[in-house]
Amino acid sequence: MTRATLLVPPLVLALAGCGGNQNTLNPAGHPERSITQLFWVMFGVAIVGFGLIMFLLFLGWVRREQPNLPGGRGERTAVQIVLGFGVALPIVLLIALFIWSDFFVMRSTAAPAKGSTALTIKVIGHQWWWEVRYGNSTAVTANEIHIPVGTRVGVVLTTVDVIHSFWVPELNRKVDTIPGTENRLLLIADHPGVYRGQCAEFCGLQHANMAVEVIAEPKPQFDAWLAHNARPAARGNTLFAQNCSGCHEIRGTPARADVGPDLTHFASRRTIAAVTLPNTPQNLREWLRDPQHVKPGNRMPNLELGNADWTALQRYVESLR
Amino acid sequence: MAVVDRIEHLEELWLERPGGLGWLTTVDHKRIGILYFWTTIVFFAAGGTEALLMRTQLAQPDQTVVSPETYDQLMTMHGVTMIFFFIIPMTTGAFGNYLVPLMIGARDMAFPRLNALSYWIFLGSGIFMYSSFLVGQAPNAGWFDYVPLALRQYDGGLNIDFYALGLIFSGVASTAGALNLIVTIFKLRAPGMSWNRMPLFCFALLAASLSLIFALPALTVDCVFLELQRKLGFHFFDVAHGGDPLLWQHLFWIFGHPEVYIIVLPAFGIATSIIPTFARRRMVAFPLVAMAELLVAFIGFGVWAHHMFATGLTTTTLVFFAAASMMVVVPSTIQIYAWLMTVNLGTPDFRAPLMFIGGFIIFFVLGGLSGIMFAAVPFDQATTDTYFVVAHFHFIIFGAAVFPLLGGIYYWFPKVTGRMYDEQLARWSFWLTFVGTSLTFFPMHIVGLLGMTRRVYTYRHGLGWDAYNLVETIGGFILAAGLLLIAFNIVRSLRSGEPAGRDPFYGGTLEWTIPSPPPHYNFAVIPTVSSPYPNWDEPDREEDLRRLAQGELVLDGGHETPATTVNDAELAEILDMPPESPWPIVLSLVVTIAAFFLLTEHYVTAAFFLSLAVLALAGWHAAEPDTLPVRTARSKGWWGAVVFVATEATLFGTIVGTYIYLRLQNAHWPPPNVPKPPVLTPTLLTAALVLTSIPMYIASRAAGEGRRATAWRAITVAFVVQLAYLIWQVHDFVHTVHVYDPQQSAWASVFVTLLGADHLHVLAGVLFSAWFVLRIRSRLTRYRIVGLQGTAFYWHAVNVITAVVLVVQLSTRL
Repeated sequence: MTRATLLVPPLVLALAGCGGNQNTLNPAGHPERSITQLFWVMFGVAIVGFGLIMFLLFLGWVRREQPNLPGGRGERTAVQIVLGFGVALPIVLLIALFIWSDFFVMRSTAAPAKGSTALTIKVIGHQWWWEVRYGNSTAVTANEIHIPVGTRVGVVLTTVDVIHSFWVPELNRKVDTIPGTENRLLLIADHPGVYRGQCAEFCGLQHANMAVEVIAEPKPQFDAWLAHNARPAARGNTLFAQNCSGCHEIRGTPARADVGPDLTHFASRRTIAAVTLPNTPQNLREWLRDPQHVKPGNRMPNLELGNADWTALQRYVESLR
Repeated sequence: MAVVDRIEHLEELWLERPGGLGWLTTVDHKRIGILYFWTTIVFFAAGGTEALLMRTQLAQPDQTVVSPETYDQLMTMHGVTMIFFFIIPMTTGAFGNYLVPLMIGARDMAFPRLNALSYWIFLGSGIFMYSSFLVGQAPNAGWFDYVPLALRQYDGGLNIDFYALGLIFSGVASTAGALNLIVTIFKLRAPGMSWNRMPLFCFALLAASLSLIFALPALTVDCVFLELQRKLGFHFFDVAHGGDPLLWQHLFWIFGHPEVYIIVLPAFGIATSIIPTFARRRMVAFPLVAMAELLVAFIGFGVWAHHMFATGLTTTTLVFFAAASMMVVVPSTIQIYAWLMTVNLGTPDFRAPLMFIGGFIIFFVLGGLSGIMFAAVPFDQATTDTYFVVAHFHFIIFGAAVFPLLGGIYYWFPKVTGRMYDEQLARWSFWLTFVGTSLTFFPMHIVGLLGMTRRVYTYRHGLGWDAYNLVETIGGFILAAGLLLIAFNIVRSLRSGEPAGRDPFYGGTLEWTIPSPPPHYNFAVIPTVSSPYPNWDEPDREEDLRRLAQGELVLDGGHETPATTVNDAELAEILDMPPESPWPIVLSLVVTIAAFFLLTEHYVTAAFFLSLAVLALAGWHAAEPDTLPVRTARSKGWWGAVVFVATEATLFGTIVGTYIYLRLQNAHWPPPNVPKPPVLTPTLLTAALVLTSIPMYIASRAAGEGRRATAWRAITVAFVVQLAYLIWQVHDFVHTVHVYDPQQSAWASVFVTLLGADHLHVLAGVLFSAWFVLRIRSRLTRYRIVGLQGTAFYWHAVNVITAVVLVVQLSTRL
C-alpha cells in the first residue's frame, strides 16, 4: 500500500474494492496506478480545503450575533484571510499540483513512442464495436483484446466513422479515436485478469453498448491464443455465405466483407455484440434472430429465416472456435 | 408643482398600453424582465422534465422506459435547454434586465426596443428549437454536438439542423441582450456612480455580457459551418477534403468555456447582493471581488482546450491549457473567502435567500474542488466523459449557478411583486432542494470513478453502479419536489403574501429606495449616489427628497433618463427614450418564419421573409423621438456601434482563424487544381471601398455639427461607391463560386464563406447608407445624427475587415 492511500478514510477505501472490473480506483498497471494515487492525494487535500471553508461558514452561523472574527479581529484580518487563503495558498498548492500531475504523472501515462513496445495492437472504432488487429499477425478479433501480462503493449487507435473514445479504466487513461488521426495509448497489466472498458465519447444510438474487454494472460497462453486466431476457419457455410457475408469476414471462406466484425473465431470469444451479452447458446440464439431487440439501432439487420435454417446457422457459428 | 403632481405626471408619461396587447409592445425593462422570467421558467420545467425522464430510465440497469433514440434527444435537449433557454436568458434576460437599470438608477435599458427584440427573438428561437419534438426529430448528438456524428452522413434527419439554426438564432438574442446591458452599464449609471460605486451585481453582469459578446461568435461561426456542410455540401470538418473534425471542438469550446463563466458570473453577482444585505454590512475586499469577477471572464477565454484533453493534443498544448485552467481558480477563491469573511464580520440573518447562498457556497466549493482535479491532465484523461464530470459540472451549473438564482428569486420577490413570500415554506424548499441536489449529483462522482461513462441510455448490472444510480434518481425527484415548492410559494404569495413595503430586508442598493413594485418610471427623481450601497446613505436619500420637492432632476419632459460619462459618471445629456413599439415582435415573427424556411431548405422564401425583416427595421426607425439636434460625441448609440463591431470583428476573426488553422493542416492550400483568386480587380475595388471611409467620416462629423447639406452630400458620395462595389463584387462572386467550388475542398469552403460573410456585411452597410441618404435629405434630428455616426463607425470597421479579406485572398499567391 502506498503512502497516498494511507491518507484515505477507510470508508472511501472500500470503494476501491467494490464495483466491477471497470473501476478507476482499482488500478492494475503502473499508468493507472499513478493516476489513482494522484486522485487520492487531490482528494485528501480537497477534504481539508472543503473542511476549512465549511468551518468558516459554520463559524459565521455560530457567531451570527458577533460583528467580528474570534478575538475581536476586524476587517484588516478578514482581508488578510482573503489574500492568504484566497490567493497565496491556492497558488502554492496549484503550482505543486501542476508540477506533479502535468510533468510526472503525465510521463507515466504517456503514449508509447512508435516501435518502443514489443507488441502493437491496432484498435479501430466502429459504430458500435471495436475491431482489433495484431501487428505481425493475421489475427483479427473484435471487442476482445488479449495481451500478455506484464508487457508494455502499444495500442494504435483509429476510427472508420465517428469519434469514439477507448478507455479501459483499470489499465490507463482514455484516448479518443479521431478521423484522420492515429492516437496511441499504453496498456500494461500487472496480473492476469479481464479488464472491462467502454467507449467514452458519445457516438450515437448504441454508445451505451460499445464495450471492450482486455484479457491479460501469461505469455505462453497469449502466444497460443494469437497463433490460434491467426489461423483461418476450418470450413465455410452456404447459409452464412447467403445471409451474412455481405458484412462479415470468415477468413479462409468466401465471406470477406468488413462492415461487421471478423467472425473467424467467434465461438472462442467471451461475449456477443461488444460485451452486450455473454456468449452462451441461448444469448446467441436471441442475438441472431432479433439483433434489433437486443441492441436497438445497431447495424445488423433482422433476417427472415426458417427455423431449421436458424438452427443450422447457429450451429455453424458455434463451430467457429 | 407639488410632489404628488410631479409623480402623477411621470406616471402618465411612462404608462404603457393596458391589457395583454401592452405586453406585446412593451419596452419597459421590468415587464420584459418578467416576460423573460416566466418564459425561462417554462423552459426550466421542460429541461427538468427531460432530466427526470432520463433519471427514471437510469434508476436501474437495463431498463426500457425510453428508447435509445428518445434518450439521446432528451439528453441533448436537456443540455441545450438548461444552458441556452434557461440560465442565460434567466440571468442576463430576467435578472439583468429587471435589476441592472434599478441598481444604477436608470429609467430603462439603453436600447429599450432592442431589449424587446432580444426577448421576442429568444422566444422565437425557443419555439423553433422545441418544435423539433413535434416532428420527432429533436437534436440528438449531445449539447456539444461533435462532428462527424452530427454530419448528415450519420444523422440524416432535421435533428441537427434544428440545433444549429436554433443556436444561431438564439445567439442573436443573447448578443443583443448583452450589448444592451454593456451600454446601459457604461452610459446610463446615475450621476455620481463612478466605477468604484457600482454594485458588484452589475460588475458580474458586465463581465458576463462582455464574455457573451466575444464568445458567441465562435459558436455562431461553428454552427454556420455545420449548416453549410450539412445543407450545401461544403467541407469544414471532414478529413477527406482537407477539413478537420477537431475544428468543431475548438470553436465550440472557445465559446463553451467562457460560457461556463457567463453562467456562473451572474450567480456570483446575486451572492454579492444577498450576502451584504443579510450580513448587514458591506462586502469585504470590494475592489478585489470586482476585479476577480472581470478576471474570471478574461481568463475563461484561455482554457477551452481542457475540454479536449483526451483528443490526443500535443504535450505542449496540454501543459499550457492545464496551467491556464489552474489560474482561473484564484479569482474564484478570492470571492469565496470574501463572501465568508463578510458573513463572519457581519451579523448574518439566515433567512431563506441567505440559506440558498450558503448552499451555493457549499456546492460551488465542491464543484470547484473537483474542477481543479480536471486541471491535472492525466486525471482529466481518466475521468473525462464519465459521470465524475457530470457530477462536477452539475455542482457548478446547478449548485453554483441555480442556487443563487433561487435565493435571488426569494430576495427580489418582494421588490418585483410588492408582496412577501412565505418564509417558512421557503426554508423548507431550501432543505428539499439542498438534500435533493446532494443526493442527485454527489453519487455521480462515485459511479464516475467506478467507470460509468456519460451519455449512456442504459448500463449493465454487475458493475457496482446500481445502488448509486437509484439514489441519484430518488434525489432527482426530491429536488423536483423542492423546486415545485418554490413555485407554489411564488404563486401563492403573489395572491396572498403580506405587503412587503419599499425595503423589507434593508438592502443596500438603489432598487430598495423605490416603492415595490417599482413604478413604470422607476425613480421619481434621479438618485444621488456616493457609495456602492446608496440605500444605506441616509443624507443622500434626504437629498433625493429635497430634489423631488424642488423639481430638480425629475426629468419629466418626456421619456427622459440621464446619460453619464463612462468613467466618472458625470451627467452628459438627458436622453429621450422611445415609447412602446410593435416592431420588435413583428421583426421576431418574420425572422422565426424565415428560420423554419431555412430549415426546410426553402431558401428563396426564407430570403423573402428576411427582406420583410429589413422592411420591419425601416418601420422601426421611421418612428423616432422628435428631439432637436445636440452636439453629441460617444453617445450610447456610438457605444452600441462599438460593441456591435466588436462582436462582428470577432466573428471575422474566427473565420480567418479557421482559414489559418486549416492551412496548417493541409500540405496544399489552396488545392493544386483550383485557379488562384484574381489580384487586380479585388485590390482596386477594395481600395475604392476603403476610401469611402473619408466621406463617411465627413458625413458623421458634419452631421454632429449640424451641417446637414455637407453631411448629405458626403454620405451620398459614399453610398454610390459602396453600391457600385457591392454590385461588382456580388456579380464576380456569383460567377466564380463554381470555379472555386466549395463542395470540393475545405479551402474553397472557408474562402467562399469568408467572402460571402464580407459581402453580407457590405450589403447591410449599403442599406444603412441608403437609409441615411433618404433620411437626412430633408432634416437632421438627434436620432438621425446618432444613427449616422454609428453607421460611419460600422463602415470603418467593414472597410478594415474587407481589407483583411483582401489580404487573405492575396496570400494564396504566396
